[in-house]
Amino acid sequence: MHGVSPAQLTTFRAVLKGVRDALSLPAPMVAAGLLGVGPLAHAVGHPLGVAVASTLFIWAGPGQIIFFGGIAAGLSPLGIALAVGLSAVRFLPMTISMLPLIRRPGQSLGELLYLSHFVTVTIWSEGLRRLPPLHPSNRVPYYIGFGHTCVVLSGFATGVGYLMTGSAPQALAAALLFLSPLFFTVSIAAGIRRVADVAAIAAGFFLQPLASRLIGPELDLLAVGLIGGTAAFMLDRARNSA
Amino acid sequence: MIPDAFEPWLLLLFAGILPTLIWRMGGVVLGRSIAESSPVFDWVRFVAATLLAGVVAKLLFDPSGALATVPAYGRFGGIAAALAAFFLSGRRAIAGIVAGQAVLLASYFIGR
Repeated sequence: MHGVSPAQLTTFRAVLKGVRDALSLPAPMVAAGLLGVGPLAHAVGHPLGVAVASTLFIWAGPGQIIFFGGIAAGLSPLGIALAVGLSAVRFLPMTISMLPLIRRPGQSLGELLYLSHFVTVTIWSEGLRRLPPLHPSNRVPYYIGFGHTCVVLSGFATGVGYLMTGSAPQALAAALLFLSPLFFTVSIAAGIRRVADVAAIAAGFFLQPLASRLIGPELDLLAVGLIGGTAAFMLDRARNSA
Repeated sequence: MIPDAFEPWLLLLFAGILPTLIWRMGGVVLGRSIAESSPVFDWVRFVAATLLAGVVAKLLFDPSGALATVPAYGRFGGIAAALAAFFLSGRRAIAGIVAGQAVLLASYFIGR
């Protein structure tokens, strides 16, 4: 693939390719994971609309689980906001690293902010893999097709999950909630290109339980990300210059 | 407490949507002022990958809802099986997902 300049598609075809690629696996997988959020919203007595809107506008499985889980646990609104906000810190570095791929000449800040809403683990890891081989002018249309497909299908799934509350066996409910960590894991593994990537992943996975105990369940992820990520970055620099 | 009609929506906006939104918007605002060739992009990519692995660990060590009814060996074994199947199948995502779910469900029915 390297060295071959990618063919340029029409905008419409690029959007369509994004839709098709999303439907091939990532969108159904994300949607199935967010199906599991429906019953959580139902359990705290929130209306169907709120369940679906949480998927469309929070658009972060773990954040939504923490949101409805926090309500169920009787946390104060401020406590819920804090817990959700801290679980979403990952979107800051993810959005920054996504920017070079979704920026284009003459783009308004509004468009870029809109595009940033789609950033999630799935779209970030799939995007870093799928966008670079595309012709630069096709990247934003492809991303728009891919992103909207994932969000719309997932919103629908959350609604279905809400309406199906209680009718699914416990094993299926567990399997649906397991999809998020599973898909995260496969996405991370697919993004491995260098030794330092493995170091970053291992650091994140093994430091997290330690940090959770030492620092507490709120700031643990932040500390793990900064320490592990920086160490991996330095390892990568050292290896490249050696 | 039964929420009145507006309360869930206000809670969703202020305790769910806004706390998530700020990080994506913050990424755009901060990222726009950084040159594309800057090593900062490399650094944030590593930080994001680490955070991601950390989130997986959090979901496994501290499971919620129905996932908490599955034995721990099923959760961790499922992830290990997913990684093994993913690489052995020539990096096929679906192989990893299927293997992971198979181990999880097996542990659910075998139990502790």
